[in-house]
Amino acid sequence: MRNVLIPIVSLVVVGLLWQAIVVLFHVAPYVAPRPLQAIQAVTQNWSSLWPLTLGTIRETIYGFFTGAGLGVGLGVIMAKVPVLQRSVYPVLVTSQAVPIIALASPLVLIFGFSVVVMVIIVAWIVFFPVTVNVVDGLSHVDQDFLNLARVYGASRWRTFVHIEVPATASPLFSGLKIGATYAVTGAVIGELAASSGTSLALYQEHANTNLNAAGVYGTTLLMTVIGISWFLLVVLAEVALTPWQRRSVARRYPWSRRG
Amino acid sequence: MAETLLALQKVTKRFDEVTALAPTSLEVAEGSFVAIVGPSGCGKSTLFNVIAGLLEPDEGEVRLGDRVVNGATGHVGYMLQKDLLVPWRTVEDNITMVARLTRRVRREDREEARRIATQYGLGDYLRHYPSALSGGMRQRVAFMRTLVTHQDLLLLDEPFGALDAQTRLEMQQWLLQVWRESGRTVLFITHDVDESLFLSDRVLVMSPRPGRVVADIANPLDRPRTMETLLDARFVELKGRIMHLLHGGAP
Repeated sequence: MRNVLIPIVSLVVVGLLWQAIVVLFHVAPYVAPRPLQAIQAVTQNWSSLWPLTLGTIRETIYGFFTGAGLGVGLGVIMAKVPVLQRSVYPVLVTSQAVPIIALASPLVLIFGFSVVVMVIIVAWIVFFPVTVNVVDGLSHVDQDFLNLARVYGASRWRTFVHIEVPATASPLFSGLKIGATYAVTGAVIGELAASSGTSLALYQEHANTNLNAAGVYGTTLLMTVIGISWFLLVVLAEVALTPWQRRSVARRYPWSRRG
Repeated sequence: MAETLLALQKVTKRFDEVTALAPTSLEVAEGSFVAIVGPSGCGKSTLFNVIAGLLEPDEGEVRLGDRVVNGATGHVGYMLQKDLLVPWRTVEDNITMVARLTRRVRREDREEARRIATQYGLGDYLRHYPSALSGGMRQRVAFMRTLVTHQDLLLLDEPFGALDAQTRLEMQQWLLQVWRESGRTVLFITHDVDESLFLSDRVLVMSPRPGRVVADIANPLDRPRTMETLLDARFVELKGRIMHLLHGGAP
């Protein structure tokens, strides 16, 4: 219970601080609304915001899974082929030095105003921490475990599946969590670059042009909520898939093997 | 006289210029318990890794039964000071780990794991993860994992080295019980002279630079061994002899 309560309390405190600053310093409503006004700007326009939100969520999810899949694949290959690790690593680091904003325009030139642009940008951001963590995890598997497998004549494949992969679960999830936090940022940057059609980012720009400060802040809040939710889903997946990190006794599932 | 299970013929291992193991010959009888004592760096673990097949000897021959097994794996049970239980598997699944690594885990494997765990007092912990167990319990599970491989020869490399004195004594008595009941052949590395005498039929004393066996001492102490064994005059005398050898004395 405390695990849920403490984050909620700190979020409320941030909201109160915001409220206090706006009230105490007499901030004009066209500069910054009060938190409740920003939230109202979202709830009152929910019917038009919801489809845009769905769009951003879709881009985030597609991009996240593309990036995560790519990241894991690259990580495994790099960990297993040292030559590739040395040659590909600098390329990957360079890829992350490219400012994402500067990446968007050429992507639009190539793919046009399409969802592909957003997916590529998100994947570009997500794959890197995943690859780095998978390479790290796989190269730091305890050599004694691998020797044990060798003594008993285990095949490389079985050693990989039953020792190396599960041993990499924790670093993999660290990478996925970092990726999840930045995924929405990527999607929004993509929406700004591919500035056609409808999207949350453009809705915000529109609100800005209309001096609708509550709308601007509200949209920011909405994007943040998408980001947090995605992060929490990844955390939930980690909890479900790595029960040994928190439990001392394995759960009994109806599908647990018996006999 | 029991048959010879393991025979080493002038086995030598070098790492670059350093001779880790000088030509070593020894025979281990089936069903016997042989302890190897020596200071660190005397080549005990190199000897083990050569027998287990992790290292290929530069010269000589490792023979198990009637097969030459130089550099080949898959013919011994193997256990280290580190229990090497995987944290993501339960006790039951850790016991069946070797089956999982070499073929499919069958129903018989699970049944055997549960039977052996129950027999040796861990029946209530089958669904626990290793993190929930004490050091002594973890080493028991590791030993059960070694037993269910059904290898005749078990190589134990300081398996109780990290345990406290009380737990270690319990584990030694437990190991002797399991050894008696299972009829396996045990090669047991330790740097603890008391432990080597308490457990074994025979003590091999090794010395470093280059690693070699300097003495092969028969251990006549009666079985079953108890606390009293530790006070037996022969125990004290043998201990004195081995200590003398370990500190560079002539055999």
